[in-house]
Amino acid sequence: MYLLRRAWANLKNEILVLPSRVLVALWVLGLALLPVVWPDPYILRIVTMTCLFAIFAASWDLLAGFAGQVSFGHALNFGTGAYASALLAQNLGLSPWITVWVGALVALVIGLATGWLCLRLRGSYLSLATLALPIIVIGVLFAFPNFSGGELGISGLRRLTTSPVGNYAIAAIAMLVSVFAMWLIADSKFGLVLHAIRDDEVAARASGINTTRYKLAVFMLSALFAGVSGALYSHFLRVAGPSTLEVALSFQAVIWGIFGGAATIYGPVAAVFLLYPFTEWLGNFERLSELRLLIFAVTVLVILLFMPRGMVSWVRDKIESVCPRCKARNGAWRRECRLCGAGLHGAFAPARRAP
Amino acid sequence: MLRTLLSVMAVLSALATTAHAQSSIKIAILGPMAFVQGENHWAGAEMARDEINRAGGINMGGRRLTVELVKVDTNELQSVPDATNAIERAITRDRADFLMGGFRSEAVLAMQEVAMDNKKIFLGAGASLTKLGANVEANYDRYKYWFRISPTKDTDLIRTVFTILGSVAAQIRTDLKKEVPKVAILAEKAAWTEGLVPAVQKTLPAMKLEIAGLWQPSDRATDVTAELSAIERSGADIVFTLLSGPVGIVVGRQMGERNMKAVAFGINVEAQKDEFWSATAGKGQFVSTLDTFAEVELTPKMTPFVRAFKERFKKSPAYNAATYDGIYILKEAIEKTGTMNADQLVPFLEKMDFVGAAFYTTFDKRHDLVWAPGKTAGIAVQWQDGKKVPFWPPQIKGMQPFRMPR
Repeated sequence: MYLLRRAWANLKNEILVLPSRVLVALWVLGLALLPVVWPDPYILRIVTMTCLFAIFAASWDLLAGFAGQVSFGHALNFGTGAYASALLAQNLGLSPWITVWVGALVALVIGLATGWLCLRLRGSYLSLATLALPIIVIGVLFAFPNFSGGELGISGLRRLTTSPVGNYAIAAIAMLVSVFAMWLIADSKFGLVLHAIRDDEVAARASGINTTRYKLAVFMLSALFAGVSGALYSHFLRVAGPSTLEVALSFQAVIWGIFGGAATIYGPVAAVFLLYPFTEWLGNFERLSELRLLIFAVTVLVILLFMPRGMVSWVRDKIESVCPRCKARNGAWRRECRLCGAGLHGAFAPARRAP
Repeated sequence: MLRTLLSVMAVLSALATTAHAQSSIKIAILGPMAFVQGENHWAGAEMARDEINRAGGINMGGRRLTVELVKVDTNELQSVPDATNAIERAITRDRADFLMGGFRSEAVLAMQEVAMDNKKIFLGAGASLTKLGANVEANYDRYKYWFRISPTKDTDLIRTVFTILGSVAAQIRTDLKKEVPKVAILAEKAAWTEGLVPAVQKTLPAMKLEIAGLWQPSDRATDVTAELSAIERSGADIVFTLLSGPVGIVVGRQMGERNMKAVAFGINVEAQKDEFWSATAGKGQFVSTLDTFAEVELTPKMTPFVRAFKERFKKSPAYNAATYDGIYILKEAIEKTGTMNADQLVPFLEKMDFVGAAFYTTFDKRHDLVWAPGKTAGIAVQWQDGKKVPFWPPQIKGMQPFRMPR
C-alpha cells in the first residue's frame, strides 16, 4: 500500500505536472500495449523499424545536436554495426544475441577512429569529411565481395526471435533503454560539457576542459548506439547490405534530427515516430505512393519554415513555459512556477506564505 | 433478442467474408512502380488479368474465381526497408494469395525472407541474383515457395551473352575472313561488372577471340571519346559492352558519330528501350544487346503478346512484363491441382512444363528457369535504321540477319 501511494505521488508530482512528461508516459504506455491491442504483423513491423531508426536518429542528435559535431555520414556507424554483426553470425556461426553486442562495439571502435580522424576539423569541413567515410567503406566492401557479399551484402541471417511480437518487443525495449541512456548522458555533467564544446570550443578548452577527450567520447557513444540499431536492423531484416551505408540513410538521420529538434534526444525520436509511419501510410494509397518522397520533402520543408527549432521544440514551447527565475518547466496554463512560485508570463509572483 | 441479432450478424459477416475470399484470387504485384521496371511488372500483370477475367476467370475445382491484382509500390530502388514493409502489407493487410515481381537484388533477398516467413508463393520477375535460387537448394523447407520466372539467373545470363558473342564472332570470321577477331571490352565502372570482367577476360581467348583491351568509363559518363578513339586504334572488330547506366546511350551515339567499323554487342540496358534511337539522335545504328521480347516466334505466344502490349501501352515490353506469364502459370497450377494451398501447388510448379509468352518455363531444383537457348535464354536485338531488330537465336521464325557496320 505504501509503495502504491508513493508511486501515485511520484506520478502526480513528477509526471502529471508537465504535459510533455504526460505525452511521453502515454507514448511508453502505447508502445507497451500495442502488441495486445493491435497485434497486426504489418503494424508491428512498421513500429519495429520505427524503433530501430529512432535509436539511430537519437544517436546522431547526441553527436551533432549536443556536441555540435554535425556528421553527414552517420550511416557509417549504422552500417558498421550491421555488417560486423552479420559477418560474425555468418562466418563464425555465433548467436545474434552475442553478435549484436560485438557489432555495436565494432561500431564504437569505428566511431573512435572517425573522431580521431576528424578532431582537427570543424563545421562544414567536418561534415564533408564524415560524408566521405561511408562511401569509402562501401568501396572497400565492393573490393572484397567474397568477404562482404559485394553489392548484395550478407543475407540469410538468423533473427533474434521468430515471432513478430518478439521482434517488436526487442526493438521497443532496445529503443527505450538506448534513448533513456542517451537522455541521461545528455542531461548529465558530461552533456553540459558537450554543450560548452558546441557553443565555444576554444572557451571550453580555456576553462580547463579536455575537449579532445570529450569529443572522442561522444563520437564513440554515438557510434555505439547507432551500431546497436544497425546490428538489430540487420538481424530483423536478415540482410546486411550496402543500403545500410548509403548517403540517403545518413541524410535521413539529419532530417529526423532537425525536424524533431536538435539537442533534445526526444525530438529526433518523435520525428521518426511521426515521419516514418507517415511515409509508410502514404504508401497505402495507390495515387500517393509514388509521390510519397515529394510529400515527405514538402512536409519537412513546411514544418521547418514555421518551426525552425524543430517541431517538438515548438510544440513543447506552446504547451509549457520556463520559469524566468529557477528555469524549471511549467504547464502553459500556470501563472506561477510550480517549484519557486515566481510569476510566469510576466506576472508578478504572489507573496509566498511562510511555512 | 440482442444476442440473437448479434449471432445473425456474426454469421452473415462470416459468410460475406468467406464469399469474398472465394470469389477472387488476389495477386500482389511488387515493384518500384515509379520506375520502368515496376511499370512493366504491372502492365504485364494487367494484361493477363484482363484476358483471364474476360474468359471467365480461373476454374478452381469447379468454382470460377476472378483475378484481382494488388499494386504494391516497393520503392526498393531507394529503400530496402520500404520493400519489406510493402510485402508485409501485401500479405497481412491486403491478404494477397500470391506474390510476384521484385527487381533490386538486395531488396528481393529481404522480401524473400518475409514471403517465406508467411509461406506465400513468390514468383520473382526481375532479380537475377543466383543466391535467391541457391537459398531453395540450401534450405528447401523454408524457401520452396520461391520460383524465378524472369530472367534467368545471372550466371546463365552470362552464358547467353557468350553464346551470342560466339555467333557474332562466327559472322565476322566469315564476312571479314579474319580467323581471330579482336574484342574490346567496354564495361562501366560498377560493382556488378567487377566480377564479370575477369570472367570475360578469361573466356574470350578460349573462344578464339583476341582481347584488344579493357576500357571502364563511369556508368554516368557523358563523353567516351577517349575510350572510343583508343578502341579504334586497337583495331577491334567487336566492342563487348557491359553497360547498365546512361553511358549506354553515349556509347551508341558516339560510335555512330565516329562511323566506327567495330560493332557493339553485349549488355546495354539503355539499348533495350524504345527511346534509345531518339536518345542517340539516330546514331545508335548496329548497337546490339540482350533482350526478352520481340515479334518473333520464340514461343507461340510471344508475337501476339508483344503486339497486344504495344497496342495497349504504346511501347515494347521489358523483361519484367513476364508477370504476364506468372499469372498464367498460377492459373494453370490452380486449375490442375484445384487448390490455392501453397504446399500443394509447389510440387506441381516444380514439375510444370509451361509455354509462356517469354519462355518455355521449366524449373530446376533451385526453382530457377532451366537455361536453354531458344527456350529461356531470351533473344538478342540490334538497332537497324531506327528499329530494334531481333537476330538471335537465328533459327527462330521472325529473326533477321545481324548486320555489320562495313
